[in-house]
Amino acid sequence: MNTLRILPKYCCKKTQRFCRLPVSQNRFYARPTSFPDFFQNPVFRKEDQAKLVETTDLSKLAAVPVKPPAVYETCSAYHDPLVNKVINHVMEMGKKQLARSLVEKAFENIKRIQIERYHLASTAEEKNKIELNPKKVLHLAIENSKPLLQLSPIKRGGITYQVPGPITEKRSLFLAIKWLLEATNEKERTIHFPEQFAWELLDAANNTGKVVKKKQDLHRQCEANRAYAHYRWQ
Amino acid sequence: MRLTQVLTSAPNRANKRRPQREPVPFQMLLPLELRKFVSGKGDKLKEAACMQEMAVMFACFKKSEFDQQQCLKEVSAFQTCYNDYNERMKLQREQGRKGILVPGEKNLTHRQLNQLLKQFPPKK
Repeated sequence: MNTLRILPKYCCKKTQRFCRLPVSQNRFYARPTSFPDFFQNPVFRKEDQAKLVETTDLSKLAAVPVKPPAVYETCSAYHDPLVNKVINHVMEMGKKQLARSLVEKAFENIKRIQIERYHLASTAEEKNKIELNPKKVLHLAIENSKPLLQLSPIKRGGITYQVPGPITEKRSLFLAIKWLLEATNEKERTIHFPEQFAWELLDAANNTGKVVKKKQDLHRQCEANRAYAHYRWQ
Repeated sequence: MRLTQVLTSAPNRANKRRPQREPVPFQMLLPLELRKFVSGKGDKLKEAACMQEMAVMFACFKKSEFDQQQCLKEVSAFQTCYNDYNERMKLQREQGRKGILVPGEKNLTHRQLNQLLKQFPPKK
């Protein structure tokens, strides 16, 4: 919606007409884009396309203009939205190539550590337990470090109470990635980012480590403040 | 003691500041009928959502020392409750904003009520 204001006049009339589209899907950009608001986001993944065909939303989407996909939006089997998200969180000053190489190096480290463990394991049962796919490790780590609750400050009678309440999916994911990166950056100067990130991910995937501890601490605090839960209004 | 001045300056029958005498006659300042709209003040929900589920989850957490793996049932119940609540609120908000009337709906938003009142204005 924020793209709307900077548009030339002839676009605005169109925008109003297209504004109430049922398939409206807006990416939230920090800056206004060159595309008017009624341009739809591209559906570039094959699974999503199949879903569109099934739900017959395709005919609606076929009638409206669609933005071109960005460079990183590919239908490749290696494309993973979560990995992409993490890369974007790692990125500083727009240096995406560096961020990508760091994350990929961390994946390589995970792979090396896990393969070493795999070969050290003696029985087949132990070997089966070891996850060799670094992307799966990342998914598991983030799933384990997502908080379920959040504390929000609410002022009642001059006192600010920390009131526990449910957290949205988006915020929970954001906090998980943020905590993982914060834990990673808390390291000695001589240890490099990919190394530490690999360890943190493996720890979190194993349900141990700093980040899972942080999540549990938050849950503990919520539990301690549960008496104030009724102060929350929706 | 000179009472003369007090007695003469006390509000008499002609004075508007005299104490009123029972029975007080009724004066109609505004027409005696309800307004043709309702305000949106009463629509705010007083109670927080999913309190019960949260309490159950806390109890389980305390029992298992905050190990989430042992409370999967409670956690999923809490999350589905919150998701359902969000869905419901979103739908209600959308319908309320447009003033769409759902047949058979008992809990109406103020916009829906106003829509109804506009369609069927109260008779005099």
